[in-house]
Amino acid sequence: MVSTSRSNNIKEKLMQYVFFASALVSVLAVICICLFLLMRGIPAIAEVGFLNFIFGQKWAPVDTPPSFGILSMIVGSLYVTAGAIVIGVPIGIMCAVFLAEFCPVKLYKIVKPSVNLLAGIPSIIYGFFGMEIVVPFIRESFGGNGYSILSASVILGIMILPTIITISESSIRAVPETYKEGSLGIGATKEETIFKVVLPAAKSGILTSIILGIGRAVGETMAVVMVAGGAVMPLEKIALLKPIRTLTANIVTEMSYASGLHTESLIATGVVLFVFIIILNTALSLIKSNSNKN
Amino acid sequence: MKNTKKIIKTMSLVLVAASVFVGCSKSNTEESSFDLNSDITVVARDSASGTRGAFHELMKIKVKEGEKEVDNLVVGALEFDGTDKVITAVEGDKYGIGYISLGSVSERTKTASVDSVEATIENVKSGDYKVARPFLLVTKGTENELVKDFLSFTASKQGQEIVESKHYISSVENSAEYSASGLSGTIKIAGSTSVSPIIELLQEAYQELNPDVTFEMQSNGSSQGIKAAIDGTYDIGMSSRELKDTEKPELNEHVLAIDGIAVILNKENEAKDLSSETITKIFTGEITKWSEVLEK
Repeated sequence: MVSTSRSNNIKEKLMQYVFFASALVSVLAVICICLFLLMRGIPAIAEVGFLNFIFGQKWAPVDTPPSFGILSMIVGSLYVTAGAIVIGVPIGIMCAVFLAEFCPVKLYKIVKPSVNLLAGIPSIIYGFFGMEIVVPFIRESFGGNGYSILSASVILGIMILPTIITISESSIRAVPETYKEGSLGIGATKEETIFKVVLPAAKSGILTSIILGIGRAVGETMAVVMVAGGAVMPLEKIALLKPIRTLTANIVTEMSYASGLHTESLIATGVVLFVFIIILNTALSLIKSNSNKN
Repeated sequence: MKNTKKIIKTMSLVLVAASVFVGCSKSNTEESSFDLNSDITVVARDSASGTRGAFHELMKIKVKEGEKEVDNLVVGALEFDGTDKVITAVEGDKYGIGYISLGSVSERTKTASVDSVEATIENVKSGDYKVARPFLLVTKGTENELVKDFLSFTASKQGQEIVESKHYISSVENSAEYSASGLSGTIKIAGSTSVSPIIELLQEAYQELNPDVTFEMQSNGSSQGIKAAIDGTYDIGMSSRELKDTEKPELNEHVLAIDGIAVILNKENEAKDLSSETITKIFTGEITKWSEVLEK
């Protein structure tokens, strides 16, 4: 008896270490990436000058003397992401409401898997779709040359749908049935109940889905490169139908050929992107801790 | 309740269908007309590309002012990180103009002649077509036996045949026949992504003759290759641009081939010939509409 419990004990301890080691791997990975970005990126930012780098509008890495200003790309990333939110969030939340509250079972069996499939499509496919369908469509319908903030927003809007739908739907489903019954009981219509009772109750889940969506949109690279056109625009010339370059697009288009300070400044672009993501994650944990308090 | 749902469903369906049809019908009617007053869509490569470096320098888009060197590419020009994307962009946009390596020209776009000279292999060879750049292999100091042998293979009859089979222009007059040397060892090559496909073919052919030789290849861009040759980490650097004045004294140059750069237009564009002056003006934004090019 004693010996088996001891061997069980040892096994338990051993497994504990295995789990701990697994947890350590992901933490180590984050630390390594942070260190790499900061060690390579910070010296470049220092060499270019923090203000020149963040607030410079001119990106001309192969001129002599070169200029490394990424303000246009920071603004570009913000615009494209905002566009994706404008397109993706209303559709996503409405779709989540439909799936959770209105959808007949038969239709649910079609809609839900297609949403899941949307999440699994590789971003290069979205890029192809954008380049061959969305870009020409926007060129013919709205003018310009099609490679634009609008095209990128449309593609990203579609790409963030699954994130928003899945998380919003489960948070809507998690709203207690009694809330709805109470609302319907005092004479509200179903629509009123959804918009005034269910959605506010599911607020934190929906906000979480939006922030995760923003994270996806900010970080998306391949699809954006293919539809946004990659032009570095001065701030006053940025427009919905004009091309744009985002932070991610800047890194991926130039990384393969760059050398010297050019490479370092691309890594520094990654540092800025990283700061974006940290801000988003902080917002996310704030929302979570708030909702836990409630 | 049920009725409202039905109405909403039908309405959304109609909306989706309508938007699709609007898109299609518009593209059908507009495709036949070439509006001269539309803006030119300038398509360029990313700023680190060798093709861009060569083209912008040849076309005076990038200008030197004393110590300074400034690329005056028009604001709003599309920038792509590959030849295929440039082709796709020009193929899809009636008002597009771009530039690609002559070896990559295909049926998908139309090639403009420059200063009334057609972009053909013959014209590049004779020097009439000015928009051309060398593909260089560079080494540092005295080459070892093996590197020397491989270089002599690339310049030989067999080597230059491979170069021409890829639609690049042979640079060697009266190349000699190469015979296997039976050497062994490793050759390390790095550099231009435009040159590496040819070098890969040359390697294969060379290894058939000299099976004991192995290669280490890295295609990471002209500047990287030149740097690697200078600091000695690689035996041979590949470059798709001329060496800069600072690089020249440090290296031996071997011209592997000459590549023309073709100016490509959409197939519906009526322009056939562009003067190099016009090209400069288009790419620097002095000319923004095709009417300024065609109605002269």
